Amino acid sequence: MTWWRSRWVVVPTLLVLIVLGWNAYVWTHDGGRIEGTVIDARGHPVPGAEVILYARSFLTNDERARTQTDGSGHFRFAGNASHALQLQAQAPGLGRSDRITLRLLFAGEDTKLRRPLRLGAAS
Amino acid sequence: MKHPIRHAVMIVVSVLMLLPFYWVIRTAITNDNIYAYPPHLLPRDPHPYNFVDVWYLIPFPRYLLNSVVVSVITVIGNLVLNAVAAYALTLPFVGRRAVLLLLLSCMLIPFQATIIPAYLITARLGLLNSYLGLALPMLSTIICIFIFKSAFESVPRSLIDAARIDGLGEWRIIARVLLPLSRPAIATNVVLAFIWSWNSFMWPLIITRDATMQTLPLGLARFLSYMEDTTGALYAFVVMVLAPGILVFLMAQSAFIRGLTAGATKG
Repeated sequence: MTWWRSRWVVVPTLLVLIVLGWNAYVWTHDGGRIEGTVIDARGHPVPGAEVILYARSFLTNDERARTQTDGSGHFRFAGNASHALQLQAQAPGLGRSDRITLRLLFAGEDTKLRRPLRLGAAS
Repeated sequence: MKHPIRHAVMIVVSVLMLLPFYWVIRTAITNDNIYAYPPHLLPRDPHPYNFVDVWYLIPFPRYLLNSVVVSVITVIGNLVLNAVAAYALTLPFVGRRAVLLLLLSCMLIPFQATIIPAYLITARLGLLNSYLGLALPMLSTIICIFIFKSAFESVPRSLIDAARIDGLGEWRIIARVLLPLSRPAIATNVVLAFIWSWNSFMWPLIITRDATMQTLPLGLARFLSYMEDTTGALYAFVVMVLAPGILVFLMAQSAFIRGLTAGATKG
């Protein structure tokens, strides 16, 4: 058997390739962008709603940033450096959304919320 | 299948032995508590985020680097020092039997009994809180010396004599003749040295002075003191600590077993 087919070569090489591939993926997706939409109880986009970003420290979630939705109800955070987040939206007269937990595969992963933050959902 | 009952018993025993590992992995990829009742055999809503938590909540990459560096130093030290010592023990010299008896009797002394002198020696050498200091007590192990010795003794004496007649020195006889013919012993040395070093807890605990020099077992203890629970992240950490040792063992398993049994019979 040729030396390069030995498991002592194949397995470490595979591991190195996996690590390099993963790092390349992380490098191209770690802008820290978080995007989503805020809607009201009837499902309409809410312009001017405030969205609060909480980041997990060891055991608690601390507020890190706030932003406002644009005219179409979209919001966007940039420069997130955490891997475990919570998001909550609020608007005068429309109440608050549930605080949703967002877990990322690596710190600062670019992500879009699959479901919008629905105001009036929080009790 | 010649012995179905024997195989069935072996399968049951294997499952029983693997079940704790499975349970740790299952807990690591879910949010279930390990003591949840009723237990669910299959993971519900599996996810990788506990591993992500471990990576970021503590300095895991640093612990990993420290463990890898210490283990590599230990493995290299074991291969070189044990091979040289074993070769010396295959040669005739005055007091050889006494040295063998001394080494064998030293195997009876538990590491905990020698830890204070080991600490004092390491401190005198100025190696506290260093990678070399972390690896120092495991750089050579007696059992691995004997594994090399029995492997070297199974190499025909005529081969060594022929190499000597051809002009090879003692070092080159070890490197060019004995070691290439002792691959199972090398695999056994690598596996044992790696696993002992990787899992070592007490010695790193004693000689490390700051968190940046701690190894994975110390990190696990530290993590446990932070996360006093029995849920995913802790078990994700356990999986991440166990995985390299299991991988090395699986890669070397056949040669490892041959190495352990080499020299058991002669002739």
